[in-house]
Amino acid sequence: MATKISFILNGDKISYEIKDHWTLSYLLREEMGLIGTKEGCGNGECGACTVIVDKLAVNSCLYLAIDIDDKIVETIEGLASTDGTLHPLQQSFVDNGGIQCGFCSPGMIMSSKALLDENPDADREEIKHALAGNICRCTGYIQIFESVEAAKELAVEDKGGKNG
Amino acid sequence: MRLPGFEYLNPQNLDQTLDMLAEHKDEAKILAGGTDLLVRMKKGLLAPKYIISLKALDSLSYIKDESDCIKIGTRTPIADIIASKPVQKHARALFQACEKIGAVSIQHYKGTIGGNILQNNRCHHYNQSDFYRSGRQACHKDGGKICYAREEADRCNSTCQSDGATALMALGAGLTLAGKDNKREVELANFYTTDGIMPFAMESQELLTEISIPKTNGESAYKRLAYRSAIDYPIVCAGVLLESDNSDKIVRARIVVGAMGRAPLLLANAASKLKGKDMNDQATFKDAATAAMSSAAAFAVHNVGSTLEYRCAMVEEMVLQALKEI
Repeated sequence: MATKISFILNGDKISYEIKDHWTLSYLLREEMGLIGTKEGCGNGECGACTVIVDKLAVNSCLYLAIDIDDKIVETIEGLASTDGTLHPLQQSFVDNGGIQCGFCSPGMIMSSKALLDENPDADREEIKHALAGNICRCTGYIQIFESVEAAKELAVEDKGGKNG
Repeated sequence: MRLPGFEYLNPQNLDQTLDMLAEHKDEAKILAGGTDLLVRMKKGLLAPKYIISLKALDSLSYIKDESDCIKIGTRTPIADIIASKPVQKHARALFQACEKIGAVSIQHYKGTIGGNILQNNRCHHYNQSDFYRSGRQACHKDGGKICYAREEADRCNSTCQSDGATALMALGAGLTLAGKDNKREVELANFYTTDGIMPFAMESQELLTEISIPKTNGESAYKRLAYRSAIDYPIVCAGVLLESDNSDKIVRARIVVGAMGRAPLLLANAASKLKGKDMNDQATFKDAATAAMSSAAAFAVHNVGSTLEYRCAMVEEMVLQALKEI
């Protein structure tokens, strides 16, 4: 059955006709073409599909698209500024080797963003806790934690990007 | 992975929800958070015609601190329970269990306590993709007549791996189930059938609405073993409750072992080893843990990862660790 929903995606107001059984990751990737959000396991185990809904990091593969009606959704595409300047978190992942193959990075960055938006002074333990639902098979996590820590410093100087 | 098609129903209050359940019965499934249901649907393990969402029923999300018990609404997010001071104080086992459920992204929005209790039993022969299962005969839970976990078994041996249910059973919790024309209360310990196909003793038109945890003078603790600290289901877990009198003598003990059978196992024999003993007597703890291991071993089959021998040995360890923590 088709249903019309409206929501805010990366700052833009959007109305979309969806089917009841679509998940948010399907809507973003297959329908809207926003393939920055990755789908790894599709079962809520790997965290690659993490997006932010109403300030909370959630697994978009287990989130029905119909449930984002009237909500605010942020994806990896909304982080960089329109002129191409990277968000401090993205820049920090690049600078500190937090990315190798890159498949987990959108999820890692969105989980980190949800954490730092809520708690800009998160320590290593809090970062580990917030990223516990995100799996990386390349870097071994240390560089990822370091990237998030380094981003805390950058974030003070630069608030670029549509999602700030 | 795609979800099969269904019709999404969005009732606005409890009465509407119960009406819909009564009307559609087995064709409908309740969607609270969906972290168990949607995964099962993606794997083709079930394909309900209707999904009844509890999204609008904010009245089912609460934690009430009453004089003799704590009442928790079925749709309460796991994160709210972790943050609840009354739960931390009076039901520590539940707090410790909830901390271990899923990961942040599952706890704080989608995962609910009702869903955690009602998460379906699992088995590594059954919780597989359509493609995997299509290459072999269907097992009991899949509608067939064989069990891959235990040869010659005449019924399903899938395992209940709920963290929340194990802790709640140790705490002596009760459930409130509502149907269209009836409402009943049942102790969690009596809520299970002994059949892995439908592990819960509830009707398809009933809805779990509330969990009630009696307050005691005792202390509780929960320990679990899993491959990873986040996301993974426990391969062995234990919840314990000890109540002592003024002279540190144990007057009431409950030991529950989870992820070893079709339901969390309330082990009366192991608990009886503790009654009347001193709270600080570590040797009795060991006795009780050993008894828990031999009781639980009778129920377990090799179906949730790791070897059966290792899981049985770890029952003793988990019970001992939980007892020592009190």
